[in-house]
Amino acid sequence: MITIHVDEDRCVGAGHCVRAAASVFDQRDDDGIVVLLVDQAPNEMLAALTKAQALCPSQAIRILVVD
Amino acid sequence: MLDSLKQSVPNAPNAPTFPFQRTCPFDPPAEYAKARAAGPVLPVTLWNGSRAWLVTRHEEIRAVLADDARFSGRMADPDFPAITPARIRVDKSERAFVGMDNPEHDAYRRMFTREFSIKRLQALNPRISAIAEALIDDMILEGPPHDLIPALAVKFPSLVMSALFGSPYDDSEFIIRCAVARHGLTQSPEDAETKARELTAYVRRLIDHKEAHPGDDMVTRIIDEYVKPGRLSRDDFAEIGAMILRAGHDTTTNMIGMGTLLFLRNDELRRELVANPLLIEGTVDELLRYVSPVQFSPRRVAREDVEIGGVKIAQGDGLFLLLGSANRDEAMFECPDKVDPHRDASRHLAFGYGIHQCLGQMLARFELQIMYAAILRRLPDLRLAVPLEEIRFKHDMQIYGVHNLPVTWSLR
Repeated sequence: MITIHVDEDRCVGAGHCVRAAASVFDQRDDDGIVVLLVDQAPNEMLAALTKAQALCPSQAIRILVVD
Repeated sequence: MLDSLKQSVPNAPNAPTFPFQRTCPFDPPAEYAKARAAGPVLPVTLWNGSRAWLVTRHEEIRAVLADDARFSGRMADPDFPAITPARIRVDKSERAFVGMDNPEHDAYRRMFTREFSIKRLQALNPRISAIAEALIDDMILEGPPHDLIPALAVKFPSLVMSALFGSPYDDSEFIIRCAVARHGLTQSPEDAETKARELTAYVRRLIDHKEAHPGDDMVTRIIDEYVKPGRLSRDDFAEIGAMILRAGHDTTTNMIGMGTLLFLRNDELRRELVANPLLIEGTVDELLRYVSPVQFSPRRVAREDVEIGGVKIAQGDGLFLLLGSANRDEAMFECPDKVDPHRDASRHLAFGYGIHQCLGQMLARFELQIMYAAILRRLPDLRLAVPLEEIRFKHDMQIYGVHNLPVTWSLR
């Protein structure tokens, strides 16, 4: 299982996370800031979530693989 | 003037003069690869004798741009490095968030991020597609040959920006003149400053007009959401609006021109994309990586004494983060000088990185994906109408591309 954390204060609304994993991330309608749809995801999502974390320009995403 | 020259960057005996010249129009200057091999940073001498550092490797560029606590992007900073005298002049008068540090930067940027959210842009895609198809209809109707730059590369982003922002399309030529005055390498400081003022004044008048005549556009939405409740002044909005118009009109144009030229010179790439249009989405990022049109930005000033890759950078030193070098860094991309539509190029830095990463990047990606797909599908035997030697590359601009792209095709 993978747990996902986002830092709304750091987010600049670039949208890479939504592009990488639309089932996990969304953007708020009023200001485009990240919304976490689920805070856990199965291990099959690791590649997509790693990409979301790496591409986030403001380093607002942290993922952690847990058992 | 001399007392304002920066001399804190070590006075290395052979700090070369920057910028460098390209020897191949499709590759960045050869000095970039040498600099990446030699060390994490390279001291250079600028036009006015001042010194600055070049940062040339992907890893360090990404790290500096992510570190807005120790590296300032405030353009009005007296130490902010500039590539031309005109650029210094407009940097000093920059009032939009592109030239601000946090917390001010985020406070302003957040008013505009939703305009470029994925969902908002996806909803706009049918309109963007219709614009692309109509422009190609016109080209085909008029028949070959055509210069693709005015016919598609300039008109397309102008029409899209007009629809999104709310600026009348007839004003595009004026907006582009203002953008070019900022993005050129040869214009006078007076001209750059005058055009900057004219564009801000234009957006200021547009705001007044939209208050009286609201529409379905960004200017109207920002007025309702932020200006009327007193959260954003009309003057601040005018500065930000001018930045958005410049960026929207003079960037995608260059990627359409360069991308199309690369298709025309690479039959294998073109055949693959025509056979498998699903590759186009990833190829947009691969071409952004390969072309890296923004050449002399972003720039930063060290807020304190820091180290980059073990080299000491003193407080107040200026840095150029060379995106075009990061994107050809062998340590990040295998065979970086080859266009590969199967590569995952997503970690390219063509839009920068950190809090200032391009606000309009997702719009640019959608525009390019739509336009590349339309060109490849509808003009399958498009070819250059002149020898490559007659293509004028933008050696005179801070944003690289081609000035002309005469093309022809067979009538069917």
